[in-house]
Amino acid sequence: MSIKDLAIYLSSHLNKNGIETVLSGGACVTIYTNNKYMSYDLDFVLLSHVLPKKIKEAMRKVGFREEGKYFKREETSYFVEFLQPPLSVGEEPVKEVWKIKEGSKVLALLSPTDCVKDRLAGFYHWNDRQSLEQAILVYEENPVDLKEVERWSTNEGMINKFELFKENLEKRKSEVKI
Amino acid sequence: MLEPLFKSEIKEKILLYLYTHVESYPSEISRAFKFYINAVQNQLLNLEKGGVLYSKLKGKVRLFGINPRYPFKKELEALLEKTLKFIPEEEKEKYYRPRLRPRRTGKPF
Repeated sequence: MSIKDLAIYLSSHLNKNGIETVLSGGACVTIYTNNKYMSYDLDFVLLSHVLPKKIKEAMRKVGFREEGKYFKREETSYFVEFLQPPLSVGEEPVKEVWKIKEGSKVLALLSPTDCVKDRLAGFYHWNDRQSLEQAILVYEENPVDLKEVERWSTNEGMINKFELFKENLEKRKSEVKI
Repeated sequence: MLEPLFKSEIKEKILLYLYTHVESYPSEISRAFKFYINAVQNQLLNLEKGGVLYSKLKGKVRLFGINPRYPFKKELEALLEKTLKFIPEEEKEKYYRPRLRPRRTGKPF
């Protein structure tokens, strides 16, 4: 089962059990880049406070056991984590989420633009180059509002690092042309 | 001072300690305030779970700090900064004024 299929399945199951979530983090990068970057972490942001017992019970129904901060199922290599609300990228709340539908099942996840911001936050605050690379990969394969990313970066006080991101995008474009 | 908000003296002191020390670990915090280490660990883990703190392993030590990606970081830090203004000078000197700038190896203190 791919991470996308698992995310859709879990999201719908959680929703049926009264737990509303939005997928965030590396799993969104995997989905938006068609597995060019492989994540094994499914980070679901809770849209409201949910009792841990309720989450545990819902996850148990689909064979996931709690191991520390994560939920794990024996025959899969994926880890599921639930993050506390609010759904945010950096300092700002997420205003719009994207949805992927498969039959009657629906997965709510960060939009490509918010996914880029989410990855850039990792680069901005932790200096994590892997996060920068992931932001570039998502940008290259999806409709991303660069002006919005620039506005957000300015608000985060990270315009210099945004310029670095843009330089990397330009460099990548010229490499592709060659 | 923030106990009515945080409902815990330990939580308030942990946050002030991390705000002023940038990063720390459970045994250092428990030693500084003479709190039980389990109580400190529980509060740190709860704050991490809520997204307020991050943690990372450095060697064998798990360091905690205020999460730069916490959406209310700026507001929380403003609150902690204001709290510091109300703390007696002696207490501030004892707990919340560490030397953060580097000191070259071999240079006497």
